[in-house]
Amino acid sequence: MLNKIRNLGIEKYIDLILLIFLISFPLLASPFRVELMSKCVIYLIFALSLDILWGSAGLMNLGHAMFFGLGGYVLALSYAVKNGVPAFMVSFGVTELPWFMQILQNQAVAFLLGLLVPGAVAALLGYFIFTSRVKGVFFNIITLALASLIELFFNNQQKYTGGANGISGLPPLSFGGSPLSILETYYLVLVVALLVYIFCRWLNNCRFGLILRSVRENESRLQFLGFNPAAFKLVVFVVSGMIAGLSGMLYVPVNSFISPNNIGVVFSTSVLVWLAVGGRGNLTGAMIGAFLITWMESLLSERLDDSWQLVLGAVMLIVVVFFPKGIIGTLIDWRKNKTGHQQPSECDDSAEQAITPDNYNVIREKV
Amino acid sequence: MELLLSQLINGVSVSAMLFIAALGLVIIFGLMDVVNMAHGDLIMLGAYITYFVTTVFHASFFLAMAVAFILTALFGVVIEATLIKKLYGKVAETLLATFALSIIIQQVVRMTMGPEDKFVGLPIEGSLTVGSIVIPQYNLFLIAISILILLATLGLFFKTSFGMQLRAVTKNRSMSQCLGINTTRIDSLTFALGSGLAGLAGALLAPVKSVTPYMGTAYIVDGFLTVVLGGFTSIIGTAASSVVISESVTAMAGYMSEITARVLVFCIIIILIRFKPEGLFTSERR
Repeated sequence: MLNKIRNLGIEKYIDLILLIFLISFPLLASPFRVELMSKCVIYLIFALSLDILWGSAGLMNLGHAMFFGLGGYVLALSYAVKNGVPAFMVSFGVTELPWFMQILQNQAVAFLLGLLVPGAVAALLGYFIFTSRVKGVFFNIITLALASLIELFFNNQQKYTGGANGISGLPPLSFGGSPLSILETYYLVLVVALLVYIFCRWLNNCRFGLILRSVRENESRLQFLGFNPAAFKLVVFVVSGMIAGLSGMLYVPVNSFISPNNIGVVFSTSVLVWLAVGGRGNLTGAMIGAFLITWMESLLSERLDDSWQLVLGAVMLIVVVFFPKGIIGTLIDWRKNKTGHQQPSECDDSAEQAITPDNYNVIREKV
Repeated sequence: MELLLSQLINGVSVSAMLFIAALGLVIIFGLMDVVNMAHGDLIMLGAYITYFVTTVFHASFFLAMAVAFILTALFGVVIEATLIKKLYGKVAETLLATFALSIIIQQVVRMTMGPEDKFVGLPIEGSLTVGSIVIPQYNLFLIAISILILLATLGLFFKTSFGMQLRAVTKNRSMSQCLGINTTRIDSLTFALGSGLAGLAGALLAPVKSVTPYMGTAYIVDGFLTVVLGGFTSIIGTAASSVVISESVTAMAGYMSEITARVLVFCIIIILIRFKPEGLFTSERR
């Protein structure tokens, strides 16, 4: 037992410390900071959703915010149309709700759609990209293009999305008629984050996650073994999109406002930066990156206005050039060198190692 | 019918703009396998240089074009030497690094120049009227110069020894090194050429678009779509696909909102790529 604890990777300790910190945070901080922290925890979920895609399967989605935004907009619209045609639609001459808005009047359906719409977009996009034999970088370019187009589209469809102003005045989460307090919302978000975290850990460690990592490391070798990488990429893309949609849905009641900024390129960049800075493929890096950068952002933007973006760019550049594995990845490497024996850390048992002629049969049977 | 015709004619000049903006991207991406996310910001820098040369120093627009080309090319050399050189062969890392660079350039420009739009006057005034269709003469100039740029680039690639060395390095880097080609120099020059073309694009676009720190983002997306549709390495393909994309968007935009038209074209591109992954206009595969 003791040995098992000693062999636990350093990233697990950090996860535990982060969890304890997040649980005890409301005891120490003002409600304003707690509200900020709920947003931060939602970003952790969002970062986790990209990490199972980028970190595990090596699919760098440059437009990941589109899933976040789609989930968010579905729920926001459902809040807006709950009591008939909302004011912003009336001002554009809409007197009757179209059919796709009427569906959203039912909250349960809206919640389901908040997961299904991002999932469906991911499935369609993934089907066309992954089953085609196109170069790897194509995925990045197409996702970036789509995110920018969706942002423009939501800006453009003022009638239904409120245009650049977005949808504002959304109510907080309520349970059985009475709205939840800031503290209750915070813990609800934290529980969801914990569940998502456990799910992602499980996903990374099960056979599916193993195959995903071999997709990242050597796709053609995986094909020789008789697997179809496209199917695995498609599934992880859909799952990741749905988790991002979930985080978007949580964001709406906490922030009480959603705008095309939450769906577009800039927000997609932010989540990339979190993962690049924190390190990817080990979940901890994604969370630490999201945590550090959003706090840095909220502290710096209070003092520096928009110039914090410059700091962000500089940090990103330094990390990419000098610490390509990110903070946590570098930390894991450092600890491994120091203790001198192989840590059972996830980001390092690459498929390169996993599939060799010697253990080919073992792996084939296992999977 | 007349609406369609005028949209199609309008589309030709939009195609020319798209081609000019995308060409540098194709050269850097197709030949060096570097996804330069800062390309749009190099276009933006070119536009700002043009603003300074023409509006602040009251010099001629043609001088501005040359200055924009040279300065952004030099900037490209610096970027290549300090940043890209460390990251060759790592596509994801170059993408992230140039992404970061793009944020930095945008913010520096925004902080020094201010976020408001800058305007560059049209260097060629007047317009041509055919029936009821009005074509600004500057658009004709854009079309002419984009054809000129296409021919010049093709000439550079297929008629000069630099072009021959460049193509050799693209096909087989280590073999070219063995044959005594200075690949470092070729890399540096290629990046400079791509960046310079971005600067030139910025200069040409400045009079017809508003010059803002964030103007580059729009071009990078359209540019990449053009590259994807045209095939990753083909210059002719880029020219053809910029015509196809711009013409279909402008033709459809006559009947619906431009954004909706672009979303539709995007969906069509995705479906096309599924069945012809090497791009529409490339026949040979490496």
